[in-house]
Amino acid sequence: MKKLFRTAAVAAAAALALAGCGSGTASDPSNVSPTGEVKPREISWLLSRPADGAVINIMKKLADDYAKDHPGFSLNLITTPDRPSYIQKLETLAAANKLPELFDTDATPFAQQLAKQGKMVDAEKLLKSLDVYDDYRPSALDYQRFDDGSLNMIPFQFELEFIWYNKALLQKAGVSVPKSLDDIPAMCTALRDAGITPIAIDGQDQWPLERYVAYQPFREGGPDFIQKLKKGEAKFSDPAGEKTVQWLASLGKAKCFQDGFSSQGYSDAQNQFTSGQAAMYNIGTWELPSLATDKLNSATRNDIDFFTLPTTAGSVTAANEFVSPSGIGMAVNSKTYDPLVSDFLKFALTKYPSEYAATGALSPTTNVETAIPANATPLYKKALEHANDLGNKQAMPWDTQLDPTTNGRLQQELVLLVQGNITPEQFTSTMDNAIAQNAPKFFK
Amino acid sequence: MLPNRSRLSVLVFLLPPLLLYGVAVLFPIMQSLFLSFFSWNGISDMEFVGLTNYVRMLTADDVFWRSFFNALGYLAICLVLQLGGALLVASLLTSMRRGRELIKTLYLLPAVISTVAIAFLFVRIYSIEPVGLLNQLLHWIGLGALERPWLSDINSVLTAVSAPEGWRFTGLYMLIIYAALLSVPQELEEAARLDGASRWQLFTKIRFPHIMPVWITTTIMATTYGLRGFDIPYLMTNGGPGQSSELLTTYMYKTAFTAQTSATQAPSPCSSSSSAWSP
Amino acid sequence: MTAPAAPVTRPRATPDPSESREPLRRRRKPSLHGTLSRVIIALIVIVQVYPLAWLFITSLRTEDDFATGDPFALPKAVTFDNYARAFETGNLGMNILNSFIVTMGANLLIVLLGMMAAYALQVLGFRYSKFVRSLFLIGIIVPVQIALVPLFIDYSSINLLDTYPSMIIPLAGFALPMSIYLFSSFFEYIPRETYEAASLDGAGPYRIFGLITLPLSVNTVVTVVLVNSIFIWNDFIFANTFVLSEELKTIPLGLQNYIGAMGKTDWTATFAAVCVTITPLLLVFLVLNKAMIQGLESGASKG
Repeated sequence: MKKLFRTAAVAAAAALALAGCGSGTASDPSNVSPTGEVKPREISWLLSRPADGAVINIMKKLADDYAKDHPGFSLNLITTPDRPSYIQKLETLAAANKLPELFDTDATPFAQQLAKQGKMVDAEKLLKSLDVYDDYRPSALDYQRFDDGSLNMIPFQFELEFIWYNKALLQKAGVSVPKSLDDIPAMCTALRDAGITPIAIDGQDQWPLERYVAYQPFREGGPDFIQKLKKGEAKFSDPAGEKTVQWLASLGKAKCFQDGFSSQGYSDAQNQFTSGQAAMYNIGTWELPSLATDKLNSATRNDIDFFTLPTTAGSVTAANEFVSPSGIGMAVNSKTYDPLVSDFLKFALTKYPSEYAATGALSPTTNVETAIPANATPLYKKALEHANDLGNKQAMPWDTQLDPTTNGRLQQELVLLVQGNITPEQFTSTMDNAIAQNAPKFFK
Repeated sequence: MLPNRSRLSVLVFLLPPLLLYGVAVLFPIMQSLFLSFFSWNGISDMEFVGLTNYVRMLTADDVFWRSFFNALGYLAICLVLQLGGALLVASLLTSMRRGRELIKTLYLLPAVISTVAIAFLFVRIYSIEPVGLLNQLLHWIGLGALERPWLSDINSVLTAVSAPEGWRFTGLYMLIIYAALLSVPQELEEAARLDGASRWQLFTKIRFPHIMPVWITTTIMATTYGLRGFDIPYLMTNGGPGQSSELLTTYMYKTAFTAQTSATQAPSPCSSSSSAWSP
Repeated sequence: MTAPAAPVTRPRATPDPSESREPLRRRRKPSLHGTLSRVIIALIVIVQVYPLAWLFITSLRTEDDFATGDPFALPKAVTFDNYARAFETGNLGMNILNSFIVTMGANLLIVLLGMMAAYALQVLGFRYSKFVRSLFLIGIIVPVQIALVPLFIDYSSINLLDTYPSMIIPLAGFALPMSIYLFSSFFEYIPRETYEAASLDGAGPYRIFGLITLPLSVNTVVTVVLVNSIFIWNDFIFANTFVLSEELKTIPLGLQNYIGAMGKTDWTATFAAVCVTITPLLLVFLVLNKAMIQGLESGASKG
């Protein structure tokens, strides 16, 4: 029996070592125009987008069109809409060296490692060779870039995040739209005094609260703060960090978020806002179909408006610079990149923007006009217009920036901080420790 | 031992199960163990680090210990609800004459409902803003002081996530215990009753000792599944707030894909599953 | 594992599952106790049935009512739109079929292999049986999460990823110890003499297994199948890890199709889908109710 075990252990080691290190022969990621014949076959796209969403539906249709001229081609869409499950799959597939032709990822530290190993095609060169690079909104591409400016993912969306609010409720509490981020805690107190929930937030998915931690440093120190923080070059105990920690604690003290927010889901939070129970709600333009059309509860429809992320005194970023993500991007596997993939991408990427804009969404390119749906309220147009008036900097969501372990810890500690279960000092020391421990492994 | 058995027959019966078990359970566990001596994030080069991961887990990983003790708490609550509840209902059932079949069936219902739905329902039940069923009930019976956001309060969250898991499988164990209670010899009970034994004495002196073996089996079953508890806490709170409802299982699931976090989770390729939804 | 529970009743040579014992408890006094237990039972039944009722009612709510109304009140209007959306977005029929295949496949392995191992350990016996038992004990203690990543990598290197076996194998593997335990404790109480008599008649271990052990175990089989089916039907973790393509998604994965952008979930459609997907299990439950419960009872009390 013992012998059997020893054999098995050796085999175990061998199997994993093979899977892990036999990284295959990655082809040159900068060779974006492979030569040769286009041989139709099935290609796969591992993606994390809503199963019935616009991106998937359009790409399905485009793939079908492409297959008409290229019999034998098909696009196999493998979607895992649940993001945590998706990340798990992507990373395990990468470990097993089985990534498909196309796969979705944010510009995370993990993706950056993949890119460094030459596993993703250089998207900047690719887009240029397809002659579509200049069509893209610079900020849509910037969102996909790694710290060093390299671009390996192609965006399919473009969104702007606003703080939506209910005019009637603000009036009832006698408060006006905040001029500065620092006005928000006092505003919450006034709203609470009037018996109104100040901000509805989806605490269950964690990214919404993580947005708030990014705001103050973005105003105070610009986009650089998180770039440094994640590598351990900046700390929460620095002025910009301290400011955000104190601000979050004061948001908590003023009871800005609904009681028990940490376990409330996306739809619950949104329903609280749309049914007129909560005064504010921080969400992006992907919700325009439910917030700026006649689908919106008629009782609150005329009371709803939005403002962009407030600035602060001495803010280094401008009012027209805020969170404007272009969604999870699509990477092209350099190992399986061939004339077919190239040809299909050329076909799909040139046709995609007009199809996408027709659905009422913002295209990541500027060469098409978004169609405003017939049932839209005036807010729809107002929201879209902000896309044409953006500054050069954008606030990056921290969950795409931090290493995964630190990120997980941050999400947990944030809830405790806002709920008042830990002090700002405890938060700062826990997080600075976590970064010191985990960051070096990802950013050496 | 069977007289006519041969070495071959033992192998014929033993090898297939051992093979499946080896392939599905033992082998991957050994691979995990092997990997726990390395620093590897799935795509990086593997670097031998010896016991470093274990040392860190046992000495420097506060979340590991937290989730370890949470898991014990979770197990305890599940066991009390499942076994205690099962015993209570089974005892009550034996004293009923009609409708026992129906009740037994109804009692199993929660076990078949998808966890996703159960988790969602309980999030609503525990909610305070808007006010959920539990807080409403407390208000009605005059215990308004106890109202709280059950899943956000770090003191109540572990109980709150354990209760649904405990509750939903009670029916399963109830059936087993009920069957055992039925097998208690009537003569014994009658005799004790004639001797003037109270209900409680009847239970502690006659019934419970009699069902003891089944009780042990049931306890082992409930413990096994209790230790595996994962999806309800994962879906309801994702271990939060903070680490208040983090179990070993949810923690491992998250760190399974986080580079080199802990040795329990030796396999550790890659990054965290708790990374959120960026648009 | 090493100390199997003693049985409550010794199994008769031919157990008769229909013979369920009526409790002879005569009501001495139509007492407070009786009333009280009835009230408690009624309360408990409400608690057990309520979620299912709630689920069904919610699946009939309009989106608006769901968003703004009291989640615990009766709906203002009834709609079947949610069901229409559930079928349109999802692939419910296929999800149910897949769950069915996986549950069946895993159960087959769990029962057959569990019985074989228990037979070897308990009835045949051999020198290292203690060691083998403790090996199986590992599977009870160790959390399944540990095996996920290695299994994923192993599967992908032998092209087993994204297949039915990739789900069935670990589901069966991790359920095997419990199954072995239940069968062992049952086998322990099949009287020695039964085997000895058969042996004297010249029956070998294979014939004894087929002619004595197997038929006697029917009730334990029912127990094992029922318990495992409940857990496997709702399994999320293995399916979520090893399945990629739409065609192989089981029910818990299929429910993810109602997740929209950024985690926004179409809950009313999800609940409609849940109502649809639990129907097969419920039907099996109701149709086989009596047989299963009796099997469970007699199986359990002996195992």
